[in-house]
Amino acid sequence: MTTHAVHLRRRTHAAHTTGQTASHILHFISGHYLLLPIGAAVALLWANAAPESYFVAVRPLAFPVNAIAMVFFFGLLAQELFEEMMPGGALHHRRRWPVPLMAAAGGTLGAVAAYAAWVSSATVPLLFRGWPIMAGIDLVFAYFVVRAIFHRHPAVSFLLLLAVASNAIGFIALAPTFLFDGSRAGGSGVLMAAAVGLAAWLRRKHVRAFWPYVLACGTLSWLALYLEGFPPALALVPIVPFMPHTRRRAGELFEDEADARGATPRHYEHVWHYHVHIALLLFGLVNAGVMVSGYGEGTEATLVAALGRTAGILLAVAAALACGLHLPAQLSWRELSVVAVASSIGLTFSLYFAIALFPAGPPLAELKLGALLTVAALPLAFVAARLLRVGRFHQRRHVFRR
Amino acid sequence: MKHLVLWLVFAASAALPHAQGVNEVVRFAVIGDAGTGGEAQYAVGRQMASARTQFPFDLVLMLGDNLYRRASPQVYATAFERPYAALLADSVKFVAVLGNHDSPESVSYPGWNMHGQRYFSFTRNHVRFFALDSNLLDATQLEWLEQTLRTSREPWRIAYFHHPIYSNAKRHGSNIELRVRLEPLFVRHGVQVVFSGHDHTYERLKPQKGITYFVSGAAGQLRQDGVQRAETTATAFAQEQSFLLVEVDEETLRFRAISRSGTVIDSGAIPRQPS
Repeated sequence: MTTHAVHLRRRTHAAHTTGQTASHILHFISGHYLLLPIGAAVALLWANAAPESYFVAVRPLAFPVNAIAMVFFFGLLAQELFEEMMPGGALHHRRRWPVPLMAAAGGTLGAVAAYAAWVSSATVPLLFRGWPIMAGIDLVFAYFVVRAIFHRHPAVSFLLLLAVASNAIGFIALAPTFLFDGSRAGGSGVLMAAAVGLAAWLRRKHVRAFWPYVLACGTLSWLALYLEGFPPALALVPIVPFMPHTRRRAGELFEDEADARGATPRHYEHVWHYHVHIALLLFGLVNAGVMVSGYGEGTEATLVAALGRTAGILLAVAAALACGLHLPAQLSWRELSVVAVASSIGLTFSLYFAIALFPAGPPLAELKLGALLTVAALPLAFVAARLLRVGRFHQRRHVFRR
Repeated sequence: MKHLVLWLVFAASAALPHAQGVNEVVRFAVIGDAGTGGEAQYAVGRQMASARTQFPFDLVLMLGDNLYRRASPQVYATAFERPYAALLADSVKFVAVLGNHDSPESVSYPGWNMHGQRYFSFTRNHVRFFALDSNLLDATQLEWLEQTLRTSREPWRIAYFHHPIYSNAKRHGSNIELRVRLEPLFVRHGVQVVFSGHDHTYERLKPQKGITYFVSGAAGQLRQDGVQRAETTATAFAQEQSFLLVEVDEETLRFRAISRSGTVIDSGAIPRQPS
């Protein structure tokens, strides 16, 4: 072999290796929903380095991203969770629900109480209206943190139920804001009924292609929510239950399954997986850009609320146990404490609730900064797990299966 | 002595247009971040009453954080009605906007003349005031502002709101997000002067795109040495509490910034820009 051929072969091998590494990094980023934090980090840097150009650039993107692109995030999330409730899913066994639901109620109560106390002591009464933000738990982020610590363990399904219930409380709490907004167009009930009716009809006709559900039903539902003043990003949530679903493999939540093309729900998930990542990247980019000088009482109140949530979860579980309920098998107070810390991550949902409640202005910036800083719960959850020697830090690592 | 001379000059400048006809000159005071209910606020209130004997203003713009405690009849009394009792007794009209520490329900407090509105506009002779809510700068408010500015025919357009879009204060500084939304409207529709508070200092900025910005957030609160002078700073003062006195005739806006102890800390004139 000539020297030239050897060089060429080495270069080709190096290029192949670099390509593989890049592919692995991209796969890891998309597989762990890291594009939102990446977008948020870029936005933070940009907003503080060149604020005027940042705010000018992102302003026209706010509506398309928050009201349209995020439809696919919430749609995918709804589908993932819906399938987790099917046989074999982490949320299937309803007997496991009471304690996490009580934990969600307690956590929200704790967060809201801590937030209200801080807002009251700082005399910023305008921020009181932001209390539903405190119900937000970044379901995806917290899920990956808990799963990274515990792998397959009842702590994961406990966290999922806790986060779903808590965010549901947040959305319900938001409703009056929109119901009494005064900008409702009315008549959208008919549109929503048509959207859901059409989805039910498509299902009855065994339509397996997902496009009719997304385009026809989703559009009608989007219009209904938009005209009523509700967040239109939730448009696919009432449609998802009608789309055909298949059983999930254990532990595949939020994971793309590339070999599932053809089956409607999996195909939907596969096709939209990348759109969702782009939407999340843009969501972080558009909404997370706040100037650090915008730090204020709202930021402090959000961080205090995160502590309140952790305490509220633990107190609520203590109350549940006192009432005769039981923790799931293999879930002790130590594991629960780590779950409680991880559930302090508000990021996506807290940001979403904040922009739904507050228009542009310093209070919104303060609350956004607080929502971003709750990411600090990520390393704290790992520290707590290490200190308490649970999950991956347990001497005999948990390999429990659901 | 210097004090006395300054006051005489100021009084003379105030008296001359007054003699020509009160309807042609609009005089008002500006206070921001006042509502502590503390001794400093009362001292500023006394200084304002004293200044009024020389400079007969009948309007006070309140730039927000008008109360630092949850609104109640007692708090209104201690942090508004008593500090400005002399002015209120003389039927001086206070027109407020809300700051981040104010209660949203204060829009209905009669003493602040907001008539239940977060943002509104009113006219005094040849001056149109635009009172904005910078806490919640929603699309509806921006549309209203653009529409109202577009239809405004008064030669002077003055906007005021709580959070400054230009400021070199160390604590908060310029709010760029608000600036991106408001400045284009101000420039397009000929707003000449903007008053804000939030930073507990006094600062006048060099005209930015033809608009003069004042930060006057030290009528009760104070952040000592709270300004980091920059290229855009025209004058800054953060040693004492302060307030502004302003008079506007057809062609010129004259201002005096007065400290709690009565010192004139800044003064000047802004000619009206041709429309």
